[in-house]
Order: sequence, then C-alpha cells, then structure tokens
Amino acid sequence: MALIGARARPGKTALARRLAGHLARGLVMVLVVTSLSFVIIRNIPGDPIAARYEKLVEQGMSPDQAERATAVLYGFMPQGTVWEQYTDYMAGLLTLDLGQSLSTPGAEVTDMLASAATWTVVPVLAGTLLSFLLGVTMGVYAAIRRSGRLGDLLSISGSLLHGVPQYVLALLLGAVFTTLWPVLPSSGTADIMIEPGLTAEYLGSLAQHAVLPVLTYALASYGGWILAMKSSVVTVLGDDFILAAELRGLSRGTVFRYVARNAILPLFTILALSLGLLFGGAIFIERIFTYPGLGLLLFDSIANRDYPLMGGAFLLITVATVVANIVADLLYSVIDPRVRSGEESA
Amino acid sequence: MKRLAAVAALLSLAAVTACSSGGGAGARPAGGGGGVYTTIDGLRPGIDANAPINPYNPKGNAFRGYNSMWLGWTKNHLTDPNQFYPGIAASWEIAPDQSSITLRLQPGNKWSDGRPVTAEDVKVSIALAYTQGGTAYALDPAAAGTASDVEVVDEKTIKITQSAENPSVTFVRGVMETIIVPAHVWGSLLPADFWDRLKTARGDGADAEAARAEITGLAEKVIAFAPPKDVSAGPFVLERVNPGEALLVKNKHFYNAANVAPDQVKLLNYTGNEQIWNYLIAGRLDNAPFTAVPADVMKRITRTPGNEVVKGYSPVGNALAFNQSRKPYDNVHVRRALAYLIDREQVTKVASPEGGTASVTTSGLHQKAAEAWLGAAFGALEPYRPDPARAEEELKAAGMKKDGGTWTMPDGTPWKMTVHVPAPFSDWVAGAKSVTSQLNDAGIDAEVVTTADYPLYLEELAAGKYDAGFWLVALGPAPYNIYQRLYGAPNGWQLFGGKLKHVAPGKEGNWMGGAETVEVDGAKVNPGELAVKLNSAPEAEQKEIIATLAKAANQDLPVIQMWDYVNTQFVNTSRFTGFPGAESDALRLTSGVWLQLGMIKKK
Repeated sequence: MALIGARARPGKTALARRLAGHLARGLVMVLVVTSLSFVIIRNIPGDPIAARYEKLVEQGMSPDQAERATAVLYGFMPQGTVWEQYTDYMAGLLTLDLGQSLSTPGAEVTDMLASAATWTVVPVLAGTLLSFLLGVTMGVYAAIRRSGRLGDLLSISGSLLHGVPQYVLALLLGAVFTTLWPVLPSSGTADIMIEPGLTAEYLGSLAQHAVLPVLTYALASYGGWILAMKSSVVTVLGDDFILAAELRGLSRGTVFRYVARNAILPLFTILALSLGLLFGGAIFIERIFTYPGLGLLLFDSIANRDYPLMGGAFLLITVATVVANIVADLLYSVIDPRVRSGEESA
Repeated sequence: MKRLAAVAALLSLAAVTACSSGGGAGARPAGGGGGVYTTIDGLRPGIDANAPINPYNPKGNAFRGYNSMWLGWTKNHLTDPNQFYPGIAASWEIAPDQSSITLRLQPGNKWSDGRPVTAEDVKVSIALAYTQGGTAYALDPAAAGTASDVEVVDEKTIKITQSAENPSVTFVRGVMETIIVPAHVWGSLLPADFWDRLKTARGDGADAEAARAEITGLAEKVIAFAPPKDVSAGPFVLERVNPGEALLVKNKHFYNAANVAPDQVKLLNYTGNEQIWNYLIAGRLDNAPFTAVPADVMKRITRTPGNEVVKGYSPVGNALAFNQSRKPYDNVHVRRALAYLIDREQVTKVASPEGGTASVTTSGLHQKAAEAWLGAAFGALEPYRPDPARAEEELKAAGMKKDGGTWTMPDGTPWKMTVHVPAPFSDWVAGAKSVTSQLNDAGIDAEVVTTADYPLYLEELAAGKYDAGFWLVALGPAPYNIYQRLYGAPNGWQLFGGKLKHVAPGKEGNWMGGAETVEVDGAKVNPGELAVKLNSAPEAEQKEIIATLAKAANQDLPVIQMWDYVNTQFVNTSRFTGFPGAESDALRLTSGVWLQLGMIKKK
C-alpha cells in the first residue's frame, strides 16, 4: 500500500505541474490571439454607419437628416487611438467587461454572447455527440466488415457525407422537411405563440425547432467520424498485440475491447477539440435555419462591423479552443496508460 | 440515463432562454375579427431578443406601425412628399408657406397602460428627437427644415413652427415622421430645463456650444434606454420576443381598436431573402413587403393558395454611376457611348424581371415621377436606345481607338472597364454581368468585380476606388432628395450650416467627380446649387429646376439609369382581405399601418 501511495503522489504532482504549464501557456495564447484579433478587427474596412445612412435615405429621409440621424451612432464607436482602445479593451477584459454592441446599441456584449451560446452549445453539442457515437460505432463495423458489402456501404456513406458541405446538407434537409414535406419548422427556436416555461408544450417546441440544425450538424460531421474510426481500427487490427491476443486464444469480445479502446484514442482528441470549436457555432447551419447561435451572431457582427461583438465572439472561441486543448491533453493522459506511465517515469 | 440527460438539457435551455417579456399590460383582444396576422419587418432584418423596446435603437423591438407610432404616415405620392394618413395625429393644418404645422391628436387614443395620449407626450418626443438629430429637429439653427418652436396649444393640440433661417419643404414631412413615445416612461431621460437649454443651443457662442454638446450627449442614453415593458399608443403592444419571432397583441386602448382585425401579430425573423421566399411558398405570411424574387421562385410563390402579388410605385431607381475623375469616364462621349451600347431592357430582364422596369432614359428621376414633373418635356430627352453606330461615333469623338475589334484608350493602351457591385445584392450582380457581357460583345473589355459586402462597397466607392458601380438614384418623392443623389455630396457639393461649397474630385467623399458647372440650353448652370434650391423653392420654381437638372443629367450622364424599381409585395388572402391594391399610396407603409387604419379585414 505504501508503495502504491508513494507512486500515486508523484503522479498527481506531475499532473498538477502539467496542468499549471498548460494554463500558463493557454493564458499567453489567449492574450496573443486576443491582441492579434483586436488589431485585425480594427482594420477591417467598411463603414456600417454609411450603410445605415443609405438605408434611411432609401426610406425617404433627406441626406442631411439621415446624416444627423446616423451621426449619433458614431458615439457608440470605440473612441481614441487604436492603442488607447486596446488598453481600454484589455482593462475591460479583467472585469469581463467586453463593452457594448454597436449594432444593438446599449446591449452588453457578454449578455449577447451568453444568449447566443445557449442556442449553439446545446444543439451543436447534441449534434457532435450524436455524430460521434454513430460515426464511431459504424466506423468499427465498417473496419471489421471492410471486405463485405455493408462495410463498403458504410464507408461510402461516410465519404459522401464528409464531402457534402454543411450548407448544401442544410438546404437539402430544409427543402425536404420544411417545403416538400413540411413537418418541421424552417426557422427560429420555439413557437412564439407558446408561453415560455417548463411545460411539455414549450419544451416540445424547442426540441422540434432544434431538430433540423442538430440533424444537419450530426450528418455533416458523421462522415468524418466514421472514416477516422475505420482507419484507426484498421491500423490497430494490424498491430502485433492484437495478433498475440488472437494467438493466445482470447475471446472475440476481449479482442474487440482491445481494438476499440486503442482505436478510439486519437478520436477522443479530435472530439475534445471539436467541443472547443463548437463555440464558433455553425455559421451556415444557423444562418440557413435562422437559429440564433454564436455562428449567426459572429456572421452578423462581421456584416455590421460590430467591433466589440466580433472581439467578444473571437475571445470566446479562443478561450474555448485553448480549454479544449488542455482538456484533451489531460484526458489523453488519463485514458491512455502509456502516456500516464511515460509522465510518471519522467 | 440518456433520456434524463436530454430532459435536463432541454430544461436548462428553457430556463436560460426564458424569453424577454414585452409587457402587454392592459392589452387584450377587443373586436375586429380576431386571428393571428403573420408578417416580417421589412425595415430591418433580424429580430434581436437582446434589444430594448426602443424605437430610437436601430435594432429596438419597436415595430413601425404596430407598437411604434408616428404623427402621420407618409403616402407614396409621385411628386408631393407632404401627404399623410393619420397616425397619432388625427388631422393637421399646414401654413400656406409651410412655416408651421398645427396637429390635432386622435381624441380617444390611449397608451396601452390606459393613460391618454396628450400633446405633452408629443412635446417630450420632439425633445427626444432633438437629441437624435434626425427628421425636422436639428440643433444647428442653419440646418434646413428645422423646427424652432413647439407650443402645446391644449391637451390634444400642438403647434410646431419652422425656423425662418433656412426653411425647407421637407419640414412638414420631418414633423409628421416624429416617433411618439409616452412622456411618463421617457420623460425622465430629459433634464428639467431641456427647452431652455435647447433655446441656448440654437444660438451662438460658447454657451450655445456647451448646450449643444449637452443635448447631443443625451443621444446615447436615449438610444440605449430599455423601458421595463412596452407602453404603446399603436394598435398593438409587444407581448414577448424570442430570437426567432416577436408576438404583439392588440392594444384595446388604441383609438381604432374596433377596426383592427387580428388579435395578434406574429413577426418572423429572417436573415436573407431565401427565408422570406420559403415563408411565402409555405403560405405562412399574410404580407411580405418588397422582396427581390427571381422568376422561378416567383412561380412557386404564386402557386401557393391565397398568395397574390401586388405591385406599385417605388421611388427608387438603379443606375450605373461613373467616377468621372478616372479616364476615360471623364469624357462625356465615352459615357454616352456606353449608354448607347447597353440594352437596359435586357439588363432588367436578367437582373430584376419581377421587381423592376427598364429605365426609359436617364433624367435622375423615376420614369413615373419624371412624367409627372416634366410632362411633355420628358419625351424630348435623349432616350439612349441601343445604337451601336451612335456608340461608335461617340467613342471616336472621345478619341478612343479600335484595335482588332477591341476598343483602346486614345494613346493605344488597353481600356479595361471594371464595374463594381456588392456581392450580397444578387440583382445588382446579375445586372452588372449583363452590362459587361453586352460591352464585351461590343469590343469593350469589361468585367464585374464584386465587393464582399455593402459597408465595404460604400467605403470604397466613396474613396473613389472604382471606375463605375451600381448606385441607387431617384430616391423620391422630395425632389431635393432625388437630385442629392446626383448633385449632392457624392458629386462634391456639401452643405454646411446652410452654406454650399464644392470640393474637388477625390476629396471628402466626392467620388463622382463631375464638373462644378455644366452648360444646359446654352446657359452655364451649377447643378449642386440648383439641387439645394429644391429644398425651399415653391412648386412652380421646382418644376423649372427639375427640368434643367433632368436635361443636365440626360446630356452629361453622371449615371446611366438601368431600371426603376417596382414595389413588388406579396399578400395572402386566405386569412385576411382588404389589402391595398396595385399602385396604392399605402403600399410603402408597413402592414401595421394598414391594420391600424382598418383596411385589413378578417376573412
């Protein structure tokens, strides 16, 4: 027991040291990316206020009146030199103050991001996990039965879906389920006629509106998972330890467990990174289904040159990706004994 | 376990996204026929659940004609910008010289919380409008068409006087388009001495400067203000909004509630025209305001039971505009040659078959407005019908050379014409491609270059980076507004404190780069000066000025007009009837206005 305890302590220390290192590097990464994106965002050409001026003139306002009406909006633009704006922005970050939106004056960027994140995280997470489970299972099957007709069929389905762009799939599903066979809502998050609350009716409406975005996302990423898993399983099947296990007469179930456990390792890393990237939203899917997640928010913020909102969205994506990287790395050392023993011996 | 996780996820989603509530106190259905009226807000895409219920906020959840009211609703008239349907004001008297307007408010109108709508509400709304600077309320006393005095005559009557310093025919419209909000909700945003400060602000000197800064300093506060609930004097009041839709319910205190047909209005969100098409094909919309629609989609939309197309006058035209500081577009013969080479019928057929009619000629005006203003003189303008022989003559007159079937610059160097358009405007892209294709056929090396989006397009256009680009013109009905598109700031004429100056091409947003003076009928005229005069000239003088400017535009071609827009709307008569018919002067107003005027009936 004493020996085991003595072995465990250095392991925890190594993990803590590893975590601290990751966090420090992650923080530096976030700072660098935030600074770079700040500079890039501030240098994006285009004047959204001029576009609004044009809109007012088009609606019948005289040019001078429209000029006065839009001049007010310049008050919401960040003031001062780029350096002053940068220091203000970074100081605001310390208190999680990302400023106010330019396109929706008065609205806090953090509130807008939080609101949009809700609509992205649940559907995209559901879509990712669904496609992962489906893709991994089918991938194993396609690898084992790779010389059979079903294996071929699964591989082809994976290649096909992997090759179809998300927006094509979204348009296709939208056309089928909202126009040709209109059984699902084409846009929005819930039927506005239903009183919001924890009622079956409202929750049902939320679920119904999420079906198409989730299905599109799941189908679009399913192909990648099945192909990756198949390739990984095929590689593991050729490893010596599998041959040794078979020669030793281990049961098929045990051999399958060995295969699955080893083959899925690289996919966990990809899954963790995918979960980080989900904060970037699914721009095309959300835009096609008018689903108000982070992707649509980012798209609109760029179209409106809403600098604070763009900055906030990029920051969120950066932090999520860095965190996902750290989690993936730590998770890998937990699920892969070889990595763990390597750390301990180090 | 998985089921539990799914339920937990949905529960958390429901809890976090509990929709923002609009209020709706005192707002319950009352008469009219009932039902839900479904439409979109064509004035701005995107419903933003985070936005406040604030009509001054560009994304505010205040929807014009539904829960956001003006004093009056502007009719779509060919020439007269001062014709209105009643709004908050039931009637109005305009002084013959337009020096003042006296408004009588709807006698029985109340806010949705039951308080009466009074002249004091209008006065507070005008004060708020001064902080925003739009319409008839400018702090600069020299600005055109500005109100100088606001007098509450009695509880239901208010008189607004125009500043005599720089009167304008746009004053009345500016007043009538004032947004009216409840004083008991918004009044606290204004300092108690607001009107004294305004008086000071409209003077000269340091005190005036300080007062102006103080008032404009309120602007951001007003735009960002978020009332806790909707208090509306319109036919509807916001009940709730989620990121995909907004729900409004009937305001039983509205003066004409008995004639407002639906109990509820549902506004759907959209991110592009494609969604509107899908809504229409599915028969979900009772009305969709002007939406560009390709011919094949139009067929599918009209196949849906109940869907009908209504078309009317739209005071907007599309034109190919030139940067005359760039060679060879500085040469009028080149511009004329291009006009003779471009078959506008063909361009319109490709670009906007349902939403446009090919321009008869270039005059700066929409064809219908041109006929109304110019009468027989319109027919005397050069129509620039496709005529390759005339085009060749013009190009030769400009010194251009033809080498192996391709036109070159006078010194023999290649001539490459680029036509810029913003990529998201599919009709402009299609139109520009038709133009360049025709020019290529005529031996001119031309290509379309798309710009990523409209804000970037406008910035680069204003910076003079393009040879030629598509540009909206003829934005009526006010003739001053119409000719500002050709002879205003984009062409070098800038109005500061009531004084006009002309800046050099390439400077301060002068991207058109036209000459400061031109010769019309043997006389030298300054088009920018004439265009500004349209702001204050009486009608007879306006006609003379318009005739001169139309000739100037026609002979010098700062732009080549491509097509006149047609206000193409969709209505569905399965659930409601009584929609405005073709060419109705209400077609440019929102469904909310039609509903509040009692035009729409439940089927």
